[in-house]
Amino acid sequence: MSVQQLSRAASDAAPEPTPPPRPARRPRNPDAIWRVYFRKPLVRVAMPILVIIILASVIGPLLTGDPFATNHPTFIPPDAEYPLGTDNLGRDYLSRVLLGGQVSLLVGFSVALLCLTVALIVGGLAGFYGGVLDTVLVKISEFFQVIPGIVLALVAAAILGANLGIIVAILAVTMWPGVARIVRAEAMRISQLGYVESQRAAGFLSLRILWSDVLPNAMPPVLVATTMTVARAILAESGLSFLGIGDANRPSWGALLNQAQPYISTAWWLALFPGLCIFIVVLAINLLGDALNDALNPSIGRVK
Amino acid sequence: MKAMAFHIGKVLFSSIILLIVVITILFLLLEVAPGDPIQTLVGDVPISDALREQIYATFGLDKPAWERYLIYIGNVFSGNLGVSFGTEVPVTQLIGERIGNTLALAIPSFILSTIGAVIIGSIAARTRKRWLDTLLSGSSVALFSLPNFWLGLMLIIVFSITLGWLPTQGKAPYGVEGIQIEYMILPLITMATAELAFKARIMRASMIESLGQDFMDTARSKGLAEHLALWRHALPNALLPMVTVAGLSLSHVLAGSVLVERVFGWPGMGLLFIGAIERQDTFLVLGVVIVLTVTILIVNLVTDIVYGLVDPRLRSQVTRSARSEP
Repeated sequence: MSVQQLSRAASDAAPEPTPPPRPARRPRNPDAIWRVYFRKPLVRVAMPILVIIILASVIGPLLTGDPFATNHPTFIPPDAEYPLGTDNLGRDYLSRVLLGGQVSLLVGFSVALLCLTVALIVGGLAGFYGGVLDTVLVKISEFFQVIPGIVLALVAAAILGANLGIIVAILAVTMWPGVARIVRAEAMRISQLGYVESQRAAGFLSLRILWSDVLPNAMPPVLVATTMTVARAILAESGLSFLGIGDANRPSWGALLNQAQPYISTAWWLALFPGLCIFIVVLAINLLGDALNDALNPSIGRVK
Repeated sequence: MKAMAFHIGKVLFSSIILLIVVITILFLLLEVAPGDPIQTLVGDVPISDALREQIYATFGLDKPAWERYLIYIGNVFSGNLGVSFGTEVPVTQLIGERIGNTLALAIPSFILSTIGAVIIGSIAARTRKRWLDTLLSGSSVALFSLPNFWLGLMLIIVFSITLGWLPTQGKAPYGVEGIQIEYMILPLITMATAELAFKARIMRASMIESLGQDFMDTARSKGLAEHLALWRHALPNALLPMVTVAGLSLSHVLAGSVLVERVFGWPGMGLLFIGAIERQDTFLVLGVVIVLTVTILIVNLVTDIVYGLVDPRLRSQVTRSARSEP
């Protein structure tokens, strides 16, 4: 529905000339970024899939029964009674996969949230003020670009113990510089712009300018990077727990794959489903991130 | 040339600093590690204090931490990585036995994925068929999202267990020396796909940028055939960022080999590393990470030099800031 139609409908509803007719709703802006975003076909496919998987792993374990109960027959292939089969100890695999989803998704989103917070603070200050902090940030991010994060995470998790909080912290430590680099670059660019200069001239505190103008305007590429961080964190966590480094009490999808490996020749479904879940979730998140990038910068990525 | 030498010297210096930082971080981590390496060494039996003292003295554990740290740094730079805890085999020897196996997978998968990425990325960038670009870009996002150790497991289920075409574990039949080609196929595919996707995405973006540049209009307007313009002007320029990415990609491949070697039981450095972590074999863990770091630093140095050589804008005046961010 266009703006004209809306305002005409509103004026029909209020025929008296006084008081001036208020539109029933605020006129819709068909080019609002989130509208452009949700109009994309990929988003319309990927978003519901992601939402369904998140809801299933949050609510699902309440409905499917105890993921630790071993009262079922062992090694049942997927059938009507056990949609994803049962494992070597006779546990219902559907509830185990759903529980694994809770852990994997929790790790992914909390790592991304931590990275975003730290990156906004450090990257924002470094890019806006420059100086020593900036040099340090550049060195740290160079360091993590050179040294593969998973190697450090592996050593750290093996040494510091592997409960969920520590894993999240370690992954956030290895991943925040990637986001902070983008915040820094944006803050540097924006701090040169006219509106920041005029705020300075008006005598606003620099921290206030950073908070109210620089950071909000830096958000578009930062949000895209954060979305991708969710995906990367889920992949990294699954890799760590596949190597046996994860919270033993809360098996994630990667840990299920680790447990499935010895039975790979007899029980294919144990290895198939957790990996498929990782794949679908990470793919959906990456597609949503790509689409977000497209919606925020419509001019990039097209052939001239 | 002088600027180049100066630049290389600077990169070399920062590489050494970085190596020392890595060693320091790992040393600190291992120092605060809970658990008793002596107990791990002896097994689950009680140890008398005298024996403990003796073992401490043998391994130099009676010295304070900072002294051991300095001794270790000194040893590393003279090429001595210490001995593996328990077996007392030199770490350099253990790594030397395994590094060949790791490189035998890493280098071919690096080369294959780079060539594949350049081809796929270029095709996706310049095709006018919308569906082809969508297909290629879409499948590279999909490969990029695949947990690649899981891809390895699925390949084993399909090609080894169900079809019985290829072996599942190891690098050759039991008792046979060397590497057999059919044992390499699945690990190679597993390793190459993730990198292929990563590099194809970058190649596509870089090619699109290069196709939109003014020199392409010039090339076309002087009557150069489309494929010649592409080959002589667009491709070389699009390959420039790929030089930087190549270094990054090789470090991904080496780090990823930990997972791939675990899936396929490939006796390389990755398996050695996991074993060392599980046994708390301090010097072996440090040694593997140091060798890995040094390899990556050398690759980065080479990338830097190559980048300086191939980019005419940088030939006269080489500065680090001109390197594009990957």
